[in-house]
Amino acid sequence: MLERSHIQSTGFRNAGPAGARTGFEVRLRQANYRSSRLSLIEGVDITVDGVLYPAEHNLFRLGEQTYTRAELNEATQTRLYVGDHFTVIVPKPGGLARGVHRVESAIHYRHPYFPPEFQPVIVRNERHATIIQP
Amino acid sequence: MPGFQYGVSLYSYTDDFGTVMTLDDAFDHVADTGATGIEILGETSVPLYPEPPSVWLDHWFAQLERHRLEPTNFACWVDTRIQIDRTMSVAEGAAQIAQDLRLAHRLGFRFIRPKFGVIDGELTPDPIWEGAVERNLDLAHQLGLIILPEIHSPTPIRHPVTDAYVRFIQRTGTTNFGLMIDTGIFQDRPLDVWGGGETDEIKKGALSFLNGIKVPVEHLADVIDYVPFIQAKFHHIDENLHDHHIPWDRIVPMLKQLGYSGYLSSEYEGARDPWVAIEQVRRQHALIRALEEQYDAAHAETIHA
Repeated sequence: MLERSHIQSTGFRNAGPAGARTGFEVRLRQANYRSSRLSLIEGVDITVDGVLYPAEHNLFRLGEQTYTRAELNEATQTRLYVGDHFTVIVPKPGGLARGVHRVESAIHYRHPYFPPEFQPVIVRNERHATIIQP
Repeated sequence: MPGFQYGVSLYSYTDDFGTVMTLDDAFDHVADTGATGIEILGETSVPLYPEPPSVWLDHWFAQLERHRLEPTNFACWVDTRIQIDRTMSVAEGAAQIAQDLRLAHRLGFRFIRPKFGVIDGELTPDPIWEGAVERNLDLAHQLGLIILPEIHSPTPIRHPVTDAYVRFIQRTGTTNFGLMIDTGIFQDRPLDVWGGGETDEIKKGALSFLNGIKVPVEHLADVIDYVPFIQAKFHHIDENLHDHHIPWDRIVPMLKQLGYSGYLSSEYEGARDPWVAIEQVRRQHALIRALEEQYDAAHAETIHA
């Protein structure tokens, strides 16, 4: 079972070797009511303490596989299931400082059954989350 | 006259499912309403869709038997805008529907509801729908399934989208395609909380949809012959069993008068706080059962007068 918020406490951590962090990671649950093909996810913006890290630079990891935005668009047969989670990898040399941060996410979903003017639909979430290891 | 059949769609438990509710929990909640039918969302409810593990299939049938529930509708999607720069062909759409027909059949369902991608604000389906469905009519017939696109707000009953579906039925003479009415089309008061994945953009841009399109219940008579299944969409029922948006006091008598005896499958789409849906679904069953009993009692008095 996952936390109700899209952003999960677990999985919020710095990436890369200690002392030479390359960025940070945010774990999100599937925020849609059905299991999206990855090609229907156009990217995820992350904002931490008011600083925006736009989707175009972020990577998307599901299980052991990591995708760029262009690679998500090709993944028509891979699904992000309801009840599953994925990780957004955000490049930021040095990573984030130890402590509690305000984290915001904006998942860009393309719902083909929504009118064209609502594509993509941007599903937002925000909460506090804690970096343990700088 | 036979009465309504009562069911619940697991869409009702959106956001609970996967955070505070398992499929086994959902079975328990559905069965305890007294419902006889369970509706699922294929991609959501079936692990590793479209290839569920065999151990899960065994468990599915054991749960149906234990709770005395029958599978009703299997909701599925034809993701026509499958990539940013490409839409599905007729062949791809047909393959998607065939896959869902076969899985729905394996799980014991009677209906599938493919949700097609749309091309405009009136929810006109991508034109591939007609070819994709027509290529599957024989398969649906062999498997004993009926394919049901839904008539969903903001598309009313009297509309070119509905007309095109009816013309398709008349042209092909098929009994394996029909209409699913979503009772959200009868909504006649504005929504304050929508559980369909609300965003600021939708709130600003879809006022007619959120305010309700107020289809007169009498329009059901136009299409009832093609309607074997109804999704009983609702958003909030208070502790006095008063629905704040959907006029059940007009819908139920009209359906009774038209002789409808299919499923009313609860589709709660309101506040998504944990576990709220469980109670809301129960209130809807209490409300609709009361209205049906009132109609039947009044009708019996008329007959005996």
